[in-house]
Amino acid sequence: GGTIRFGHDNKTDPFENPAHACTAVFQNIVTADTNGSVTVEVFGSNQLGTAAEHVQQVRDGVIQATLTSTGALASYYPRIDVLNLPFAFANNASTYSVFDGEFGETLAADIEDALGDVVVLGFPDTGGFFAVTNSQRQIANLEDFDGIRIRTMTLPSHQKIVQALGAEAYPLSWGEVYSGLQTGVIDGQMNPVPIISFANFAEVQKHMTLTNHLFSPYTFMVNKAFYEGLTEAEQNTLHAAAESCVTASRGLSRIIEASDRGLAGLMDKIEVTALSADQRAAMAGATQPAFEAHVAENLDAKAGELLTLFKSEVGKANDASYLD
Amino acid sequence: MIVGLCFVLLLAVGMPIGFAIGLAGVIGIFTMGGGTTFLAIGPSKIFNGLNIFPFLAMPFFILAGEIMNSTGITGRLVKLAEVLVGRFRGGLAHTNMLASVFFAGLTGSATADAAAFGRTLVPAMVKQGYKRDYACAVTAAGSIIGPTIPPSGLMVVYGSLMGVSIGGLFAAGLLPGLVICAVCMSVIAIGGKRENLPKAERGATLGEIWQTFLSSITALLMPIIILGGILGGIVTPTEAASIAVAYALFIGFFVYRTLTFRELYAMLVRTARITGVIFVIIAFAGILGWWMSFERIPQAIASTVLGLSDNPYAIIAIIICILLVVGMVMDITAILIILGPVLVPLTEQIGLEPIHAGIIFVLALNISLMTPPVGACLFVLSSVTGEKLERISVKLAPFLIAEVIILFLFAFWEDAALLLPRALGFAP
Amino acid sequence: MLGDIADRISRQLNRGTEVILAALMVALVLDVWIGVVDRYFFHWQLPWPEVLARYLMIWAAMLAVSSGIARREHIGLTAVLLNLPAPLRRAMLIGIDLMTFTLFFYVLWFGIGFAESGAKRQAMILGATLQPFYAAIPTAAALACVQVVLVMVRDMGRQLDLPDTPSEEGAGA
Ligand code: NA
Ligand code: NA
Repeated sequence: GGTIRFGHDNKTDPFENPAHACTAVFQNIVTADTNGSVTVEVFGSNQLGTAAEHVQQVRDGVIQATLTSTGALASYYPRIDVLNLPFAFANNASTYSVFDGEFGETLAADIEDALGDVVVLGFPDTGGFFAVTNSQRQIANLEDFDGIRIRTMTLPSHQKIVQALGAEAYPLSWGEVYSGLQTGVIDGQMNPVPIISFANFAEVQKHMTLTNHLFSPYTFMVNKAFYEGLTEAEQNTLHAAAESCVTASRGLSRIIEASDRGLAGLMDKIEVTALSADQRAAMAGATQPAFEAHVAENLDAKAGELLTLFKSEVGKANDASYLD
Repeated sequence: MIVGLCFVLLLAVGMPIGFAIGLAGVIGIFTMGGGTTFLAIGPSKIFNGLNIFPFLAMPFFILAGEIMNSTGITGRLVKLAEVLVGRFRGGLAHTNMLASVFFAGLTGSATADAAAFGRTLVPAMVKQGYKRDYACAVTAAGSIIGPTIPPSGLMVVYGSLMGVSIGGLFAAGLLPGLVICAVCMSVIAIGGKRENLPKAERGATLGEIWQTFLSSITALLMPIIILGGILGGIVTPTEAASIAVAYALFIGFFVYRTLTFRELYAMLVRTARITGVIFVIIAFAGILGWWMSFERIPQAIASTVLGLSDNPYAIIAIIICILLVVGMVMDITAILIILGPVLVPLTEQIGLEPIHAGIIFVLALNISLMTPPVGACLFVLSSVTGEKLERISVKLAPFLIAEVIILFLFAFWEDAALLLPRALGFAP
Repeated sequence: MLGDIADRISRQLNRGTEVILAALMVALVLDVWIGVVDRYFFHWQLPWPEVLARYLMIWAAMLAVSSGIARREHIGLTAVLLNLPAPLRRAMLIGIDLMTFTLFFYVLWFGIGFAESGAKRQAMILGATLQPFYAAIPTAAALACVQVVLVMVRDMGRQLDLPDTPSEEGAGA
């Protein structure tokens, strides 16, 4: 038994964002199914620190669980970068099967090996695929990216992808993105649709392209010593609750996309462009070799193996069709 | 409880505020038990508390102000204010107030304004027959204009911590800054007879005004360059601060040619030290804030406030009162870091626009810098001029009341508070 | 006698610190300028100016803390102290210095482990780990510890006994 202090860096409304939906579901199931022998206290809104600090706090046993973004995990576990293979997934369902399947298990095991002090319980949804917005022109074809200045996170792989598309990549701190877009310091940015909606970027951007070029899930991790101190029954409850937590994050992400807080709401404010299979293929063709070169240059052989597995699992998932 | 008591005790015995905050935080974490597991969190909170890019704007604005000051620009700004309003009864008092507006583009803090004018204008006023306590009170009342009109150090911290557009906050500060100046000048005019303020001997000719204007134009351009650079899409607010440094260097080296490398070295070091004094407070407040969050103290305070009333106006009033009262005894940056995460979500719950909430916080905290018993601006003035704190406070009362009324006006009247941010596209 | 030696060491140590501070400030200004110029003229799309600026700023701000200690620029409330009899006031001021030492010794002690933890984390720029940047915390804390001991020996709680001279430098921002 014990208390799980669960930190994350999102707003604490289960109907507003996938991270808190996930923690709320986890909290409910764990507390109920263990008859309160394991309790969960959620600390949202960066109360205990940034996403990267949360990882350290879980590793040190200061808190017991967190949901961390791939960006925040990268400094501890650089191989997480393989998830940034651009234009990989054909649809949301593919992300589910890849992260719940063999690749998810392999990745979880590798994170646990590399860090040594955590147990990975799953990969919840952060809000869906990345889209690109900009103020210059409608982007439908690869050539349309030419010379557009796009804000990226300080992640080398994201920069490489943007540059391979023919655009320019400038890292800008998150707090300056809105005003940077508004005044024209930069032309565009890329983020999942709910973040674009939540940050009101539609007010300061004219065009949005549903590139779906990146998907970055959270990594749900708990402190290993804490986990090993639980009874087997409690551990099983944690896994079951984590699965529901992941499901909830996915469900809420899709609902937000469909609501006026997502794509439906953005349609009136910004010109939305979806890509044809050919247009996507051209972009994939331009970016994937650059990304693979980046992985080969900057990461180790193990990352190469992970990337190979990732590609084959994504391929299988893309080819499979639902209930078929 | 123990932690709060320790903190108040440490403050009372004169421990530097940042260190008192740090020690209180460490004591808090120590009381949690758990040995070194929790204690080890400290350095990480220090590092990550400072690991925020927009904070850079603070040292840059300080440096730009230092360089500009070295060219003797402060004197020219005072002269400009004097030729404009010096002819009236209480001319130098009006001058002090208006000069604060001109000076505001060069400074981001109230204490810097108080220190500069306490050293220059207060002696000049006393020489002309003003009572020293009154001269200090006028300077204190005007010092709040500096951090209200952009640039503003507190707005930088608020914007970076709360995720609010710093450019939007800058825009929101302009109007209250000018209103404060106008209202305080009215207070001077109304009290002029009773205080028996001296009249200036002469007015200035238009030619003289023009000449003075030209000689101080370099300083007057500074806020225009800062806001223009941001609004024109050339730079982010943080980068604008670095452009302000470039501009000041250009003026110092090539226009007035008063700047030397030896002086510049001293300014760089002094800027770093001033930054260190402020940032150590931010860094240690991170430790105390972490402990408070872990013990769920912010939630307890928030639910207490919400339990008092559910009327939005009442909640705004309560928040303002908390800020004003706590601001009397604590560093305002530290208050933002520790109480911001508690109180700002309350303003969200009652539907306040983020920029509106921001300007309320910034105004209230800056006003608290001159509330007795321990307002920082009063301390600075008292130490610079040698006037007794109590005597300044008495003369300050009418100004303080006027400024608190202005604060409530902008707090309750959203259209006024957001007039400029909306016009410039920062708020819906 | 001992006070004079402490004073001399404190000054020399601080002079060295301040040279580094000035260099860091210059680097900071240049770094942010490069970011702006890059975006408008060179289009190199450098990934490091934003990250490097944050780390330089932390080094500068933290090192400056010891300099502020050497010059007694970290201000506290003096109202109570000034109304105490001189011997009691001196005892309290020495007590404050000892508590300040304790605080920075805590930061130093745990800061070493913190800096070591940075060796295992990637900084995402220049292929470096976070260790050289995390090292700012224990380094600055060590300097602060040394300076606080030196100025304590120098002043022995007498720093408020001196006649009130108006300070020549602005009181912060
Ligand atoms: Na200002
Ligand atoms: Na003034």
